[in-house]
Amino acid sequence: MAQSGTSIRNQIRTLRFHHGEMTQQQLADQVGVTRQTVNAIEGGKYSPSLEVAFRIAHVFGKPLEEVFQFVAASG
Amino acid sequence: MSITSVTSSELGDSMNTSFEEKSVWIQLISLVVGLGGYLVVAGFMLSNGVSLLPPFVPVFALAIVLIVAVNVAGHVVASIFSRPDEADERDRLIDWRAESRSSWILAVGVIGAIIALILSVGGVWVAHLLLISLFGSEVAKNVLQIVYYSRGI
Repeated sequence: MAQSGTSIRNQIRTLRFHHGEMTQQQLADQVGVTRQTVNAIEGGKYSPSLEVAFRIAHVFGKPLEEVFQFVAASG
Repeated sequence: MSITSVTSSELGDSMNTSFEEKSVWIQLISLVVGLGGYLVVAGFMLSNGVSLLPPFVPVFALAIVLIVAVNVAGHVVASIFSRPDEADERDRLIDWRAESRSSWILAVGVIGAIIALILSVGGVWVAHLLLISLFGSEVAKNVLQIVYYSRGI
């Protein structure tokens, strides 16, 4: 999975699958961003603001840390 | 259906660009066609010895009309082919970062124009130095936005 752009990893793709194969557009509509932004977050090309991160976690009914994980740079 | 199939079904979809990204492309094309075209014509006029501003005015007016026309037509076509979403936080961040990294070009042009005025360089040259720096700054901003949209921010 291409998440090399940021040090934030996420489980959005998996969570969407486990929530009735939710589409990116459906998630985007519930969160209040564009589908392309959801796609960028999933692909690790964009780290969302804290508010959007909380909104995404709220949609899935999960705590923030189950959706997003910080990966500290090694060395 | 597996996670992999969800992913692959949306991979093609992810190739689509957002309305905001299309808008950036339209602005870039309109600038290159309009202002870029004007600068080419103005370059020929300057090299042919035109040293007063009035002869440049109709050409510049035409360039402005061209920029507006390409922008309007482009956005109408873009709104037909994609959902015109409002700009979200990612669009605003990309816009801000691209502008903060390209605005120095305009600043250099303004300082250059002030120096040119102090040195009593002709007004036609000063005006075009400002236009070139504005053009460079806006084109750089649009190019940076496109890079940030494709490579991430």
